[in-house]
Amino acid sequence: MLGEFEYVLITAAAGLGESAYGAAIREEIEKVAGRRCSIGGLYTTIERLEKKGMLKTWMGEATAQRGGRAKRMVRVTPKGMHAAKEFYEAMMRVSRNASWATSKPERAS
Amino acid sequence: MSSLVEMATIFLAPTDREAVLGDLAETGASGWNALGSVLGLVVRQQMELWRAWQPWVASSVAFAGSLLLLGVSFGLSVDSRHLLRGERGYGSVLCEALLMLLWAWTSGFVVGSLSGKTRWVSGILCAIPCLFCVLRFQDTSLSRLCVLLFLLPGVGGVVQGVRRARLSHRTALTLATAMTALMLVWGGGMYIRNWFLFLPAWWLVAHAERSELSN
Repeated sequence: MLGEFEYVLITAAAGLGESAYGAAIREEIEKVAGRRCSIGGLYTTIERLEKKGMLKTWMGEATAQRGGRAKRMVRVTPKGMHAAKEFYEAMMRVSRNASWATSKPERAS
Repeated sequence: MSSLVEMATIFLAPTDREAVLGDLAETGASGWNALGSVLGLVVRQQMELWRAWQPWVASSVAFAGSLLLLGVSFGLSVDSRHLLRGERGYGSVLCEALLMLLWAWTSGFVVGSLSGKTRWVSGILCAIPCLFCVLRFQDTSLSRLCVLLFLLPGVGGVVQGVRRARLSHRTALTLATAMTALMLVWGGGMYIRNWFLFLPAWWLVAHAERSELSN
């Protein structure tokens, strides 16, 4: 099963579609998940997921905004989508009785 | 500072360097922040490599192998001196020299084929006992460099291991059998510790067999 950050990264990359690359994914994670995403964490996770066949990466075009440097483009593979769906469904199942997932009042401990 | 960041990226693969420097430029990161990001990635990439078993085995072979081969090199130097004095036969010293060469080469091959990007750690682990031994060498009748005889075939093995990753089953089996036969013929090095030096050769046989079966 995927790790939490792996799931977040795949979901962010899938959401960005054709324009998913390092900096854009990082920005998306920080904006949507509200957590800091380091370049180290991002690229090592991308490499790990690529080795597992869940992502495909290639070097894209260089832009002036990037100082003439190329982007590392990212695409989620069908295997990655399947793994992310499994993770999502597992989280849904695990959470079904939790107070924050239902409208039930929280039980006092 | 930007040149320091560029310097730090030499530890990254060319494509990673390009992508990371581009990302830093795009997000406007500079100074210590950019340097921290690059170094963070370098450290994480190195740590990620150690999640696999291969670098651990390669480092162990490099360290233990160099410890054992230092002794073998010294023994060969002493026996060569005896040969020159006519106190030893050619056959025995030749077997010893061939064995050392093959032990060093196969150990180097295993280190090279398993280490990959962590071979600098294997190199350091091999260099530490060598340095220690050279500095503490006390036999005045021999050059202190005689303990390093195994280094050349060892490095040759590492280079081949990095290039080829594995030997064919036939080559590996021939090597391991020849080494075992040489050991039996020589008979002078029947120490238990020397049998450990056969492990890389027989591991190469097992690895080649497994690879051929899976193909």
